Amino acid sequence: MSDTQKLVISPSPHLKGKETVSSAMRDVFVALIPVAAVAIYFYHAYAAFLIGVCLVTAVLTELLFKKLQKKKPAIHDWSALLTGLFVALLFTATTPWWKAAIATFIAVGIAKELMGGLGWNRFNPALFGRVAMILLAPLFAYVDDWFAPLAVNMGAVDVVTQATPLAMLNAGLEMPPLGQLFLAFPGGALSEVSPLALLIGAAYLFYRKHITWHVPVSMLVAIAILTLIAGQNPLYHLFTGGIMIGAFFMATDWVTSPFTDRGKLIFGACIGVLVVIFRLGLSPTEGVAFAILIMNAFVPYIDKAMKRPSFSEPKKQPQAS
Amino acid sequence: MDVKTFQGGAHIPHYKSYTEDKPITRLSPPKEVIVPLLQHMGSPCEPLVKAGDKVEIGQKIGDSEEMFSAPVHASISGTVKEVGKRTVPTGGEEDCIVIEADDGPQEFEMKQIRDPENIDLEEYRKCVREGGLTGMGGAALPTHVQVKYNEKVDTLLLNGAECEPFLTCDHRLMMEKADELIKGAKLMMNSIGAKRTLIGIEVNKPDAIEAINELVKDRDDMEVVSLAVKYPQGFKSHLIKAATGRDVPRGARSAELGCIVRNVGTTIASYEACIYGKPLIERVITVSGPKVTKPGNYVVRIGSPVGHILEECGVEDLENHKVVIGGPMTGLAQPHLDVPVVKSSTGVIVLPPDMTREWMEYGDCVRCDKCVEHCPMMLYPNQISIYAEAKMYDAAEEWDLMDCIECGICSYVCPAARPIVHWVQRAKPEIQKRQRSRK
Repeated sequence: MSDTQKLVISPSPHLKGKETVSSAMRDVFVALIPVAAVAIYFYHAYAAFLIGVCLVTAVLTELLFKKLQKKKPAIHDWSALLTGLFVALLFTATTPWWKAAIATFIAVGIAKELMGGLGWNRFNPALFGRVAMILLAPLFAYVDDWFAPLAVNMGAVDVVTQATPLAMLNAGLEMPPLGQLFLAFPGGALSEVSPLALLIGAAYLFYRKHITWHVPVSMLVAIAILTLIAGQNPLYHLFTGGIMIGAFFMATDWVTSPFTDRGKLIFGACIGVLVVIFRLGLSPTEGVAFAILIMNAFVPYIDKAMKRPSFSEPKKQPQAS
Repeated sequence: MDVKTFQGGAHIPHYKSYTEDKPITRLSPPKEVIVPLLQHMGSPCEPLVKAGDKVEIGQKIGDSEEMFSAPVHASISGTVKEVGKRTVPTGGEEDCIVIEADDGPQEFEMKQIRDPENIDLEEYRKCVREGGLTGMGGAALPTHVQVKYNEKVDTLLLNGAECEPFLTCDHRLMMEKADELIKGAKLMMNSIGAKRTLIGIEVNKPDAIEAINELVKDRDDMEVVSLAVKYPQGFKSHLIKAATGRDVPRGARSAELGCIVRNVGTTIASYEACIYGKPLIERVITVSGPKVTKPGNYVVRIGSPVGHILEECGVEDLENHKVVIGGPMTGLAQPHLDVPVVKSSTGVIVLPPDMTREWMEYGDCVRCDKCVEHCPMMLYPNQISIYAEAKMYDAAEEWDLMDCIECGICSYVCPAARPIVHWVQRAKPEIQKRQRSRK
């Protein structure tokens, strides 16, 4: 053996598990394929176009902000694409594409990159982008006309004009059968069409161990109990609006949810409480998005308060002597 | 079967099939050994020989007056070439005695000099001290320090978990030297006044469990504890927790918890030191890795250069490989091949580039909590890593950085490949400094 061979020296551990940030993000992307497919099935080109616009905008935005911050782009980590897909799924099919694009730009550029990049953002980027558009809506009244010539006409889609189940629920209209609501019932945002498709994706995330039961269960249980107390059928609430995608995909976001087990339970339950307050007391729409964003802000405090004791922490025992 | 374990931890591919079926064989002695004067936790030895001196195998060549120390012995017969600084496997340089082999006897003569039935505590302690016994599983505490009568110690706990990937030397020892292991345990148990011996073995070594069960089945003071296959089952605190159910609060020594934990290799070597007067001049190590032509469990001389061992095992091309002394989770990557194996070296593992962490760059923490889920110490490595990386040591301390046992699971599972253990190691002395200045 020669002495010139270059040995690698670096700190332990020397083995590394196979999972990477990219592989995990790609898994979440894959988990969203069923719901995206259902959306495209019902809304055809509208849905496909909206998703495409958001994906492209997400990538371009990341490239731009990485360049401005003189950082290396990380498109391969799937994080920007994932945010883009999430944003698209939060809009209705006929949303003007520039609105979705601006939401994506805000999500990836401001809510993520300017916060320090993936890992440092305190708020769920996709929800941040979506809610920013709601808050900016009055402004759009002035500028909508400028964008009007950019509208793309993709023909008529019948189901688009249908009232959303959530609106029907709030208006006290007669609801479609629960089974149909669960399977697929067009209306509302792309992600609200099929709770079943979302659950299939969520099952995949459980299987791949990217999410745990704590947040979805505590959130859904809180909603069920409170709506039951309010004298309503909880299932209608669970299967309508953004509750499903919120519980399984948004509130479980790694970066913006607690990392303590007890913290996750509190986080989920608080979101559930807020959602019910919003739905029953305030505006019927986008309650889930606001609820999650509000709780995002509390995550560091929840984690700090809910820290588990270290293995070495002396157990408090009744003093014998 | 009742299988015991602890909370947290992870299943890591254990790569033991390379060597688990390979019986222990002796490697030919090297032409030159490098014996560090500090191979244990505590004070270094003073050299008892100088360049040019003739030494015989088993001769004491370094010793210290300090309590926390263990003497070192010549592992081959020959001439002292030099006493000077050499790279040691724990990193950095230490004073070493370099011996060049001559044509004198190169094997230690095993002659019974004591009767195992007639060894009291004092004599046992003297034997293990003079034999230079230290922990051979990693921690390397001088063995005699632990040998004292303490009425609270009711349990001798033999550590045969061997939870590190690749390593199989303890596994083979338990199978091939079960008899000496049990005799050594009995000797230890009698001399310290313990009432029982528990032998903790992970269930991926059924043949070892069987071999030892065969010997202890008729004894009511010894029992095999089957442990789940989970890293880091063999760490002292987790072994105590799993085998005895006792909590291990920070700062508590195991004797205070009524346990003495002993590695199986140390137990056998202690027995040989007492009965045959054989000092710790050789040990069994596992040489393994996908590119090692002759992987196996080998008896090697303490002080054998890694280069000699790898040459004997048919390793040639090492370009961009990692040569680790110890296990791949906690061992140290060595800068060159003239580093000697010491009393606490459990293996020499050769890792090709695609197996190590170097294939990816680390990124920011994405708070996935995988490390939180697996941390055997119930810590929050994610927070600790963020604070320790930013040198925010007060915050890191608040998140219990000092409790970290550096097992490496967090970095192993981290999708962002963050070198968490490295930052913890960098932070510990800084936090210690702050803790001292607060007192």
